[in-house]
Order: sequence, then structure tokens, then C-alpha cells
Amino acid sequence: MTTPTRPSLDDPALTIALEHAGIFEPIPMARTERQQEFYTLGDGEMLLNMGPQHPSTHGVLRVVLKISGEQVVDLDPVLGYLHRGVEKIAENSDFHHIISQLDPLEYISSLFCEWSPVMSFEKLLDVQVPRRAEYIRVLTGELNRIASHMLFLGWYALDLGGITPILWSFAERDEIMEMLAAVTGAKLLFNYFRIGGVNGDLNHEFMSRLGDWMGRAGAQLEAGMGLLNENEIFVRRARGLGVLDRETALRMCTTGPNLRASGVPFDIRRAHPYSVYPELEFDIPTRNEGDSLARYLLRMDEVRQSLRIIDQCLHQMPDGPIMARLPRLLRPRPGRAYSAVEGPRGQYSCYAMSDGTDQPFRLRIHDPSFLHLQLVGLLMPGNLIADTMAIMASLDPVMGGVDK
Amino acid sequence: MVSAYWNRLSLGSRAILVLVPVLLVVGAVLTVAAALLLGPLLDFINANLPLGRFVLAATALIVITIPIAFLIIYMELKVIAAINLRVGPDRVGPFGALMSVVHGLKVLSKEDFTPLGVDVPIFTLAPIVVFASIPLTLLVIPFAPGLYGQDFNLALLYFFAIGGMSVVGLMMAGWASFNKYSLLGALRAAAQAISYELPLTLSVVGIIILAGTMSLNSIVHQQAGSLFDWNIWKQPLGFIIFFIAATAEANRTPLDMTEADQELVAGFATEYSGMRFGFFFFAEYVNVFVVSALSAVLFFGGWNAPFDWPFPVTVSLDPGGLGLGLIFLIALAPVVGTIILGLPFWLLSSRISTLRALVTGFVLFNLLIVAAFFGWAFVSAAWVSGLVWMMLKTFVFVFIFVQMRGTLPRVRVDQLMSFAWKWLLPASLLNIFVTATAVSILANR
Amino acid sequence: MDRAFRALIERTFGDLLTGPVRQRHDETEMRIRPGDVPAVVRTLHDDPALGFEYLGDLAGVDTGTDFQVVYHLWSVVTPDWLRVIADGIPRDQPRIPSITFLWKGAEWMEREAYDMFGLVFEGNRDLRRIYLPDDFVSFPLRKDFHLPDDASRSPGGGVRPMEDAATPADAAAATVRRTATAR
Repeated sequence: MTTPTRPSLDDPALTIALEHAGIFEPIPMARTERQQEFYTLGDGEMLLNMGPQHPSTHGVLRVVLKISGEQVVDLDPVLGYLHRGVEKIAENSDFHHIISQLDPLEYISSLFCEWSPVMSFEKLLDVQVPRRAEYIRVLTGELNRIASHMLFLGWYALDLGGITPILWSFAERDEIMEMLAAVTGAKLLFNYFRIGGVNGDLNHEFMSRLGDWMGRAGAQLEAGMGLLNENEIFVRRARGLGVLDRETALRMCTTGPNLRASGVPFDIRRAHPYSVYPELEFDIPTRNEGDSLARYLLRMDEVRQSLRIIDQCLHQMPDGPIMARLPRLLRPRPGRAYSAVEGPRGQYSCYAMSDGTDQPFRLRIHDPSFLHLQLVGLLMPGNLIADTMAIMASLDPVMGGVDK
Repeated sequence: MVSAYWNRLSLGSRAILVLVPVLLVVGAVLTVAAALLLGPLLDFINANLPLGRFVLAATALIVITIPIAFLIIYMELKVIAAINLRVGPDRVGPFGALMSVVHGLKVLSKEDFTPLGVDVPIFTLAPIVVFASIPLTLLVIPFAPGLYGQDFNLALLYFFAIGGMSVVGLMMAGWASFNKYSLLGALRAAAQAISYELPLTLSVVGIIILAGTMSLNSIVHQQAGSLFDWNIWKQPLGFIIFFIAATAEANRTPLDMTEADQELVAGFATEYSGMRFGFFFFAEYVNVFVVSALSAVLFFGGWNAPFDWPFPVTVSLDPGGLGLGLIFLIALAPVVGTIILGLPFWLLSSRISTLRALVTGFVLFNLLIVAAFFGWAFVSAAWVSGLVWMMLKTFVFVFIFVQMRGTLPRVRVDQLMSFAWKWLLPASLLNIFVTATAVSILANR
Repeated sequence: MDRAFRALIERTFGDLLTGPVRQRHDETEMRIRPGDVPAVVRTLHDDPALGFEYLGDLAGVDTGTDFQVVYHLWSVVTPDWLRVIADGIPRDQPRIPSITFLWKGAEWMEREAYDMFGLVFEGNRDLRRIYLPDDFVSFPLRKDFHLPDDASRSPGGGVRPMEDAATPADAAAATVRRTATAR
């Protein structure tokens, strides 16, 4: 057995190998104008590769940062580490099967990933969903929204170096997930909505857990938010960070809380009502600052509104069937349908084309995280490395949804 | 014949069978050697007593860093778990108390590799430099009357000088690692050290003015008396500045810029693994202890009790006076104590068996005796009570550090710098000015 | 369905439309030529009577014979989603003007459409692969792309090293498997 000798850095073959490994500045062959611009280093600038195995890139994201000292000059997100071609999979699965394929897109709030495809299939099939099923969808969806926003609180604090809020918010999320598990049968990827209704009626366990939780939810959620809302270090770091103004937000196709934090009161639940939202009473919280703190506080306001909606759902829910009558094999007539829902991160929408077979001809999934990640490139330049994660977390992208 | 017996033995028995004769022989050899060499050795030590004392103190200080670090790590695990609504470690040892030992073993058993492209000698030396500065700073801290490594009239200056050495180690680690994250972490460490060494050092100048000496031992002596003789009442601003700067110095959240894991992966330690990585964290935890101990020494009276000991305690036990009765006492006391202490449990409920009641009584009796022994030591030996007070104060500060880590997010690096230069430095200068003015006015009156 | 809105669209874009304005459920659909996209989109965005400030989605579609790019827009003037279909992009020359001059956020969606369909958006500054590796050669959502597991004989099963090196000389050309029945 021979002991391997330590290779020397002067070896030209090794230098090439190191360049391939990305240890030196990776200057790839520029394919576009923008890439050329990004990979041309100015005086005192260097590239810093963040991810895909970085502690806080919210999944498997790689960001190439161009930095000057500690200041970020520019950045280039590199996606695709979680890409599994769900649109192609959907073209080769039947309509029922697709729902379970779409769940893992956004594992934080998977009910919303199911909701918009299901709605568009219903449009293709001209199905009327029973009102009880719609109420159940709204109820579970809003629960999922709270869980997602509480997780956002935790992650955001974690990215700013606070380790406690994530565990506090997980306590909250756990209760909600247990609840949803009682009614859907799964704790993370629910696969609960069906074309024409939902998979199962609300059961005793769900109702008792929900009733138990609703009694203390308000105080408990406020306690979780109280960890950060009045924390001087947190507020000072988040205020004025990554300001997104109204026009830019619209130009960048921003949706959801990130758009509303910039002063645009656009919420699909009100702007393009679907399901039973027109019958429910809730406000659309809006803020004008457009900074990270506004995005954070806006989500917390949304949690409060969601509690209101849940309360109304419980009081107004009618009796009746939870599924429309449909054949086993769905062959919608040829056509196109588009539907959008307002998820915790923004607009989840789905564009489905049918050609008369039992598989969609084309299924386009639009995920808000994808567009919000794009915003990072706009908001980051000029900030410090310490704030890359703070800005990214305040936009709340989920890489499963970004990469599809 | 022999092998048949041998095969029947269990593994433990075989080990004992082999080890016992070996130990006997080794013991015999050592005894003979000691008998021959002890005389000259003692003579040598007597001739060089200060040197012997120094070697002993240095060795002891290096050795005690291990339990201290383990204790603080365990404390951190448990306290932060409580803040986080978690249970924390609860598997290894009673209440998970051996978790940090297991952590240490894990770190030791991991592969310790040197990545390609690093500057090997500097990369290897860096953890040693970082770690070495810690026992050196411990050397001047007085833990109890007569229990300190060295007492000299520049102790405080020496402390800060040596404490700044660890930054050199961090810079070495960051530079040699051939990694941009490490480099950024190291540069942050350097910038932070430069910014915070200044207010840290200036914040104690007030105390030096008051005490007229830099010897930590004398500073503690001057704070003797009650709670109100401590320096914290004379230097409240100094203490606040000192504590904030010390947090930055010890690289603790909210000022742990150098290894902000959400930003810089692990900062300077990114490329380290195994025990070299362990050394960095070992040093960090011991550093927390050192800084806490210094806070206690400078501002909270060191080993002094928070109140005047109201009654002079003299415990004069003369066991020889009992004569033969002593033997009866030693023989009977455990039996009687066990029975007396177990009796209430036995009477309490019929579900508690006699044996169980006796075992409980025995345990209680032992605890009682141990407590009595320590109580006796506490009141009769000044260094024991001093050590207890000192450790109590130190661990209060350690607890605050741990609790801060559980509660606060990290500040941004530019906020950190501007805070140091715009607020802490002027405040510490103000503190010096006010202290000096007051001292000169009071002296001239 | 918003009949008045349909009339408004027909009135505004009269001869730019290549097909009838269709309506179904809460959607209004208009078809235009790919070359007209910038003009139409700008009118939709800037005209105060229309005010389509919000781009909901941008999707590429392969109908089996040609490509389409589908835009979904939202405005306060109508309760409907407006679907703009840029129809009839030829397979051999898949080029269409970009709308990043209006919605910068469409940049990544166009990159995605390029990645999946090979649609070239003229005017997009950063038109390169977004999900797939840079040296990927085929476009997976085209109807003549075979899923690697359903057609192992397909050249380059979507696996990078294989795609680079191991296209068999006698590999059968991929064929269009499905064609939209409804255009």
C-alpha cells in the first residue's frame, strides 16, 4: 500500500481541477449579457459562493454573491437543485393523481398547492363544489396559512441569529399540523383536496383539537410574536432593510404579503374572489413601508385575520355533502382553465389545458416563491452579507416551490 | 487444562486476571522508586518553591478548563433547551449531565483532516494559539484567598494583553483556511477585537484609579466587607461597558460576528474538523468562564461574601478526645442514622418496603454527612468559602451569557462597530473622566 | 363572464386579434400574433380604461404543431382573468418579443419557458437555463421530448453526461406524441 503524496498547488493539472471544483473564481462562459456583466469583476470585488449547502438558504439554493468587502454588489441565484419537472409529471398522470404530485412543491403550505390545480380542474369539468366542502377548504387552508406564517416568524428570527422563536413557533405549528393530520391523515403533505370537494369530512378529533386550540390561540400566537415585535435588536435590523416600493413591486410581479407590505392592497381572496371568501368578513392588512419589518409585521397581521376567518367558518359551516358527484375517470372536454388562490406566500395559480383525455395536455404551476426569489437580486445590492439572509427570509421563499 | 479454565472466563475476568499481576508489579516498582527518589525530589521542590508553585498552578489551571468547559456546555444545552420549550439532553448520565463529555469524545474521534490548499503550519497552529491564551489569562485570576496562579502588579494589563492573543489565532485560522468564509470571519474577528478591546480596557481604568493598583488580588482585597463595598456601586457605567465589551470579546450572541453561522457558515472554523474544531469551541466556553470570573473579581467583590460574616465560627473538633468511643461512633453512627432517617419513610406508607426505606435512609444519611463536611469546611477554611462565593458569582454571569444566547438575535456587523466607536468608547472615556475628577476632589478635601 | 369587457377588448384590439375572444367561467381569452405582444401588452397596461397592472402568470405551451405563450393578467376593471395567447410561434423559429420592459419580474418566467420549451424571448437580458444545467441540450416540456423512463431509447435521457457523450448514431428521432385537439 502506498501512501498518497500530498498534491502541490503548483501542479498545473491540479489548478485546472480546482477551477473545475469552483474553488477559484468560477467565470463560466458567459451566455447572456447579464451573465457577462455579473461575472466581470471590478476592482476589489470577489465572488462568494453561498450554498447549496449553506446553513440558511431555506432549502437547496445556491447564490453567487459578488462582494466588495462585506458589501454585496450583485448576486446571481442558481436554481434547479430541487427541480423534478412536476409539469412534465403532470402531463403524464391523470387528474386525480396530479394532486398528490403537487403537494411536495411547497411543503410548508401544501394545501394551497393543491387548491389552485383542483380549482382549475373543476373549471375544466364544470363541477360545482358543495358549499360544505368549500368551507372545509377555507378552514383548513387558513389553518395552514397560520402554520406557515408562524414558521416564517421562526425562520426569520433564526436567520437573524435568534434561536428561540423557531422552536416556539414550531410548538404552534405542531398543534396545527396535528389537527390537519386528524382530518387529512398526513402531517405534512396532506393530499386532501379532491376535484369536486375534499377527501374526508371534519371529524371529532379535528374539531376537539381545533376547539381546544382556538381557546388559547390568540394569546399563544401573540406570545410567539412578542418574542420579536418589541426586540430592539430585531427591529433595528429589519427596519429599512430591503425596501421594495410600490411600482417596483408590481413591475416584479410580486404577490401576497410582500406586495401588500409595499402598499398595494391586492389579495386574490378579495380581488378575484373564489370559494366562499365573499361570504366571510376579514380585512386585508396593508403597510406602506415595504421593508423587511413591514413584511414581517404584515404576516403577523394576517395571522390575526386568519383566526377571524376560522372563527367565522366554524360558525357558518353548513351541513351537506363534501364531494360533488363525479365519474371515476375524468375526461374533461378540451379547453383551458386558469385559477389562482391567495396562499401564505402569494398567488398560487395553475393553468390547465385539456385535450379530452384523462391527462392534462399542459399544466402550468405558478409559484410565488419563484418570483419572490427573483426580488432578492433587486433588493440585495448595497447591503451587507449579514443581511442577505435577512432579506431573503423576509421574502419567505420555499425552494420546493421555486424549483418545482 | 489451563486453556479450558481460560475459555470459561468472561472477558472482564480475563482482563482482571491479566491486569492484577501487572498492576502489582508496577506498584511495587513505583513504591521502590518513590522511596529512593522522594527525598531528593522534595529537596528540589523546597529549593525552588515559587517555581514549583507556578508549575502546579499552571497545570491545575489547564486541567480545570476541561470540567469548566463541560459544565458550561451542559449548562448551555439545558438552559437554552428550557428557553426553547425543549427538554435538552436527558439520555447520557443523570439528566444528560454527561452529554458534553460525549460531545468531547465525539470531537476527539472524528477525522481531523487538512483540506487541500491550506497553509498547513499556520492552519495547524491556529487552534493551539487560540486555546493557549485561555489558561494563561486564568493564571492571574484570584479564585479564593491564597488560591491564584500568580499575583503581580500588572495583572490586569497582562490579562488584556494575553486575551487579545486569541484574535491572532483566529486570524491565523481564517487566513490559513483557504476559504472565503473563514477569511471574512477572521477579518470580522480582527475588526471586532480592535473595536472592543478599547472600551473593554478603558472601562476598567476607573477601577484602577480607585484601587491604585492593577493587581487583581489587591482589587479584591479592597472590596472586602459587605455587598456595598463592591466596585459595582462606584463604577456602574464601567460595569455596563465592561460587560458589553466582554460579550464581544468572548464572541457570544448577540455579538458573535466571527462565527455567525447563518451568515458565514462557521466563520474562521469552517474548514476545521475533529479536535482542532473542538479546541476553538473549548476555548470559547472557557473564555466565557474567564470573562465572567473577571467581572466578578473587578466589580462584584471576587471571593468576598456579600455580607459581613456576623459571627466568628470556630469549630474545634478533637476526635482524639473521644478515645475508644470514636470507634463506636464511627461504627454505630451510620447504622443509627440510617434507621432514624429511614423510619419516617417506613412509617409513611405500607407500600414502601423495609429495604427501600433503609436504602433511602442510608442515602439521606450520606448526603447529610457530606453536607455537614462541606459546611464545616465552608465555615472553617477561608479558601473554601471564598471559592464558593467566587464560583457562585462567576456562574451567575455565565448564566447571563447563556441566557442572552437563548434570547437575543445577532446584531449586524456595522451596527456592532458603530455601537463600539460611537457609544461605548465615549462612555468609557466619560467614566474615566468622572472617576478621576471625583477621586482628585475627594483626595484634596 | 364579463360581456362588456369582451366588447371592450374587441373594440380596442380589433384587427390585432387573430381569433374570437372567448369567455368561459371567469376567464376572457384573446389571441394575438407573437409579434404584437409588446404593443398589446403595453396598451393593456397603460390604457386607463384597461389598467392591467398585474401579471399573474406567463406560460409556454407546445400544442404539438406550434408554440404559444400565454399571459394571464388582472385588472380592477373586470372580475375576469384576462388570458392573452400569443399564438402560432413556429417550431423551427421559436422567437417572441420579451415583456420584461414592462414587467421585469417576467424575466425568470421567460427563462423558465426558454428552459422548458426553447422559446427565445427577444429583449430578455438574461435568457439562459434556469432549472436545468447549462449544458443541457433538449427542452423537456416540448411534446417531442420523451420522458427518460418511458422511452429509454430516446437520445440523452435527460442525464447530463449521457447527453453530452452517448447519443447513439442510430437513435430514432423523437416524434411528437400528442397534439392539442382544441387549439
